[in-house]
Amino acid sequence: MLLNIVHGTESGGFIVVEDTVKYSGREILKCFINAAIKRGEDVHVLGFETSEAELRAGLDSSSGQKIHFHKGHPDPLGWTCKSSVTVQQFNTPDITRLVQNTPHTKAAVLIVDSLSFILRHHQPVVICRSLQELKKVGVVKTIVGLLHSDLHLQGVVKSVCHLANAVISVAPANNEHCGVAKTTRRTKSGKLMQEEEYFDVSEDAALSVKTRTHQPGHVQTEPDKPKADPTSNLTFNLRLSKKEKEAKEKVALPFVFSQEKKSALLRPTPGTGRITYEPDAYDDFDEEDPDDDLDV
Amino acid sequence: MAVPGIGMAGPAGVNTTSFQKKSRSKLVSIPGTRPSVQNGQLIVSTGVTSLDYVIGGGLAVGTLLLVEEDRYDSYSRMLLKYFLAEGVVCGHEVFLASDRDHPDEIMQELPSPIVDEVGSVKTKEGQAQPCDQENQDTMTIAWRYQNQPKVQNALASSVRFGHYYDVSKTMEPEVRQAVKCHSFYALQESPTTTELSLLSSPYHALLQSIQSVIRKEGFDVSTPQSKVRNVLRLGLHSLGSPLWGDDLCCTDNPTHCHALTTFLYALRGLLRTSLSVAVVTVPSHLMQNKSVMGQIIRLSDTAIALESFRGSEKETNPLYKDYHGLLHVRQVPRLNCLVCEVPDTKDLAFKLKRKQFTIERLHLPPDLSETVSRVSKIELAGGCGTTATGNKHLDF
Repeated sequence: MLLNIVHGTESGGFIVVEDTVKYSGREILKCFINAAIKRGEDVHVLGFETSEAELRAGLDSSSGQKIHFHKGHPDPLGWTCKSSVTVQQFNTPDITRLVQNTPHTKAAVLIVDSLSFILRHHQPVVICRSLQELKKVGVVKTIVGLLHSDLHLQGVVKSVCHLANAVISVAPANNEHCGVAKTTRRTKSGKLMQEEEYFDVSEDAALSVKTRTHQPGHVQTEPDKPKADPTSNLTFNLRLSKKEKEAKEKVALPFVFSQEKKSALLRPTPGTGRITYEPDAYDDFDEEDPDDDLDV
Repeated sequence: MAVPGIGMAGPAGVNTTSFQKKSRSKLVSIPGTRPSVQNGQLIVSTGVTSLDYVIGGGLAVGTLLLVEEDRYDSYSRMLLKYFLAEGVVCGHEVFLASDRDHPDEIMQELPSPIVDEVGSVKTKEGQAQPCDQENQDTMTIAWRYQNQPKVQNALASSVRFGHYYDVSKTMEPEVRQAVKCHSFYALQESPTTTELSLLSSPYHALLQSIQSVIRKEGFDVSTPQSKVRNVLRLGLHSLGSPLWGDDLCCTDNPTHCHALTTFLYALRGLLRTSLSVAVVTVPSHLMQNKSVMGQIIRLSDTAIALESFRGSEKETNPLYKDYHGLLHVRQVPRLNCLVCEVPDTKDLAFKLKRKQFTIERLHLPPDLSETVSRVSKIELAGGCGTTATGNKHLDF
């Protein structure tokens, strides 16, 4: 599923790459850029955390003009007016203008590196609204944002992830060189898909999914211990041969009735029960009132 | 407490006379409503028959149902769509406010009603039928039990109320457009908060919008009855999420911590004096401050919470394998009386079949696997400390 999302086979929207200090999600971000270029789409990068050179390293240099790097790194708050974009410009009209400045043939991809930086300088509520507006306005097909989840309050992280169509959380794998990505994707119909995969990013920002880990939540079945069979060495016979079995089947058991009798017994007979009693010669039938000696 | 002039059973509920019954039957003239069996309140269906049963027959007109959203908002959204679809089918007016998706998009996804009602009833009866031909052969020893009716999990009242819907299909646009639909989209409102009003601006605008619909379309009970009365169904999606300009979800002590509660208070006042009924969904799993959530529940009449198994460890629990989530009834309304209708069981679960969303009593499925009971027996024997624990094979 990670590959599908990165390569854009599943329709865009807002994608959050969630990482922590233990494992950087920027490699995945590069994969998104790489995949978008290969599809021939324009990529707009709002870079607040890394320089352009660092981000371009490893990417295909021939298609460099497809990447529109909006430099926010040297001066993110616009104090010395060195940057082409500042944190304050993260709102729908400004970004729409930024993206539409360059003519596009295809829908563009907006990469935000990173959302964490922006969230530190804006109200989270405002950011959430801007992101949703950008998604609705449709100037960009896909928004991919990097979010350092250990820098924010739990509520902020949850709120931003709640808006996303897909959340990719990366973490280091236990003993291997690759990382583990937990992908949660919500389809348009409201269905939810989750998968955990081991992935590896090569030098030229190509993503390869190594193995799928077991489904999250699925408890791994512990290997069955060879159980001692209590019937293995007995001093008497517990098993039946085929012939013996047949003979056993033939024996009619008590209270096992034929189909007809069963259905007759099971047939509901509502309110038809009647007691009929015919007194015989030996019956001592008393005509007198049995209670007449009582002092009533 | 409820709408004056509608729930006539109010203060005089003690001595029920035939006179009251007459006045009640006059009120049932609104399609899709009926008086409640318990307190004579005019009720409407939520669209999910089993949910109606759980909350005591249906939603009383003039009250508010709070739905705490599940983690990924898939089932709460479905409940909202059921509620609106029921309104469309009954010819009620509909008001929908949403934040993430445009209200029109949600309206387009409404489930299609199952028109062939006789058929659906037939299948229901088929399930309740004692047993079918193939099962007859299976019981050889305990055959006397084979005509016993199966345990019925599905909750339904004896009287049909509300419609059944097929979630795999969407409603015909013609059917949908036959009713008047008002909508409100939170993102279109400006995010600036006005200092003058207690409410932050999207809530304020929403309240005004609801108010104007109620006034203009004549849902207000105080206005003289001029035309045929109808019910207004309000669906408010994801109130309190950041897109409503509310930071309840982001921080522990939000700047406008009373914005949503003030809104709900005003809304409930509005509902009480009008022929309207509201379903509000709230992303309670995002709320950081639990006391605010408690206040929100207290400000609503009926409150239920959906807990989806998706992404939680309960997903693989064998106890829950037949279900998609749990339904918690947080609050049942006390309308015109001191006690409320207590649901007979609190263990409720919901599941989404291919076509239908239902709520059932949660019960343990029979454990048919051989290993489970055997293992537990061995463990039991070990616990008792009998002599047989040491060697695994039988010794005679």
